[in-house]
Amino acid sequence: MIFNPEFSAQQQHTTSPIVTGGSVIALAYKGGVVVGVDTLCSYGSMADFKNVEKIAQVSKNTIYVSSGEFSDFQQVVRELAKIDRSALQYDDGVHPSPRDYGNYLARLSYKRRCKINPLYLQNVIAGFHNGERYLGLVDIYGTYLESNFVTTGFASYFCKAIISNYWNDNCTLDQAKQVIRECFKVLFCRDCRAHDVIQLAYVDEQGAHLEQPERVETKWDFSGFKNRANEKLHTQ
Amino acid sequence: MLKHLYDTDCVTWSPQGKLFQVEYAMEAVKQGSICLGLKSNEYVVLCSLKRQPSELAGYQEKQFKIDDHMAIAIAGLTADARVLCKYMRTECLEYKYTYESHHPVGRLVFKVAEKSQHKTQSGAKRPYGVGLLVAGIDPNGVHLFETCPSGNYYEYKCQAIGSRSQAARTYFESWFHLFEKSTLEQLILHGLSALKKAIMEDEELNERNVEVGILGKNQKFIHLNAQELKDYIVKLETFNANTQIQQE
Repeated sequence: MIFNPEFSAQQQHTTSPIVTGGSVIALAYKGGVVVGVDTLCSYGSMADFKNVEKIAQVSKNTIYVSSGEFSDFQQVVRELAKIDRSALQYDDGVHPSPRDYGNYLARLSYKRRCKINPLYLQNVIAGFHNGERYLGLVDIYGTYLESNFVTTGFASYFCKAIISNYWNDNCTLDQAKQVIRECFKVLFCRDCRAHDVIQLAYVDEQGAHLEQPERVETKWDFSGFKNRANEKLHTQ
Repeated sequence: MLKHLYDTDCVTWSPQGKLFQVEYAMEAVKQGSICLGLKSNEYVVLCSLKRQPSELAGYQEKQFKIDDHMAIAIAGLTADARVLCKYMRTECLEYKYTYESHHPVGRLVFKVAEKSQHKTQSGAKRPYGVGLLVAGIDPNGVHLFETCPSGNYYEYKCQAIGSRSQAARTYFESWFHLFEKSTLEQLILHGLSALKKAIMEDEELNERNVEVGILGKNQKFIHLNAQELKDYIVKLETFNANTQIQQE
């Protein structure tokens, strides 16, 4: 974009995102919640940054992930960190619960929506507090929903069938993780802006656990593909 | 006599290191009618003695609900108390709007204390002439705080402020070790007993001049109504703190 001094004087409104993150899938399991997201930030249709860790731990028992404009994600992480720091300032040991973060983010998003300058994000807040699992979705308009499973982006279209067939909220952690891996396999095949390296994180009563990125299993060595590669085209 | 040289405003220290305006403001609290608070593991009870300016007038209320989980009892200038009450209610509402949860009690008391301190450090302002007993419940537990015009605040197991509050405090000193495990009824009766110690000989406690508010982990703040107050005042006749020890 050409720098235009006239434009910088006005307030810019986010009308379209530039660097974007992909789908987020979060499921509750027996004893906690688990979240999965891929490690790609796309620059339009270009897979620009392939090793991005997009799961933010905002407090001991809360994690935050979002899909959409990545710079807005980074800004929200800073805003949420401010709240956790307030416990230090007041020195009273009172930490916000995951639900407090979810509601705060909903208010923040709604305020921005009202100014027609949204935080271009679909947000997921996941946590575990006082023996209760928490999973919240805040969308670009500030709509706030709590649920025991949450999907954003293309996952909402491709993955709900998989989730409803293979998951229930009493399953084990490994079962829930496996469902998420299956979903990302499908997304990698069908969503043009998806990546095959994903990162999982889960929150249980011990707190948040972030795992190392892993590559989703995909199969490309179908005999049809291989044979096609050896085919002599239009030569015979 | 020497006091009058250094007591014109808040921005003048005395040679003894006192701010006389702040001290005078604390006197206003001591002139207010007594209110006291005490807490157990589960409940906080606020008891106050209401003053009636004249036979024709009603009784001045001294306890105000701030939010479902928080209430205050005041001693001192009622007008100043209203300002602080409004501030606390606004803060609680804003917190609830943003976070959908209750304002942590200690934090709100801290904010009130900060506001009060601000008034003690300006040439053009005067301190608030009211002391608050703040009762509240939050994830950290059951709380009772006292705030002062000076901007200090303290957390208590039980406390009494206002006129003749020393008598109530003496009662508390003898019996506060029982409060933690007391039932709600025992707690109320202790509060009323302490209140009784602080009234004048020709006064009596009745359902018109006594105000009792209760707050618990599963109990939103409520005032006892006239009938309940009457019943408790009757029970007070036979209440003896000694019997509670025998039960335990």
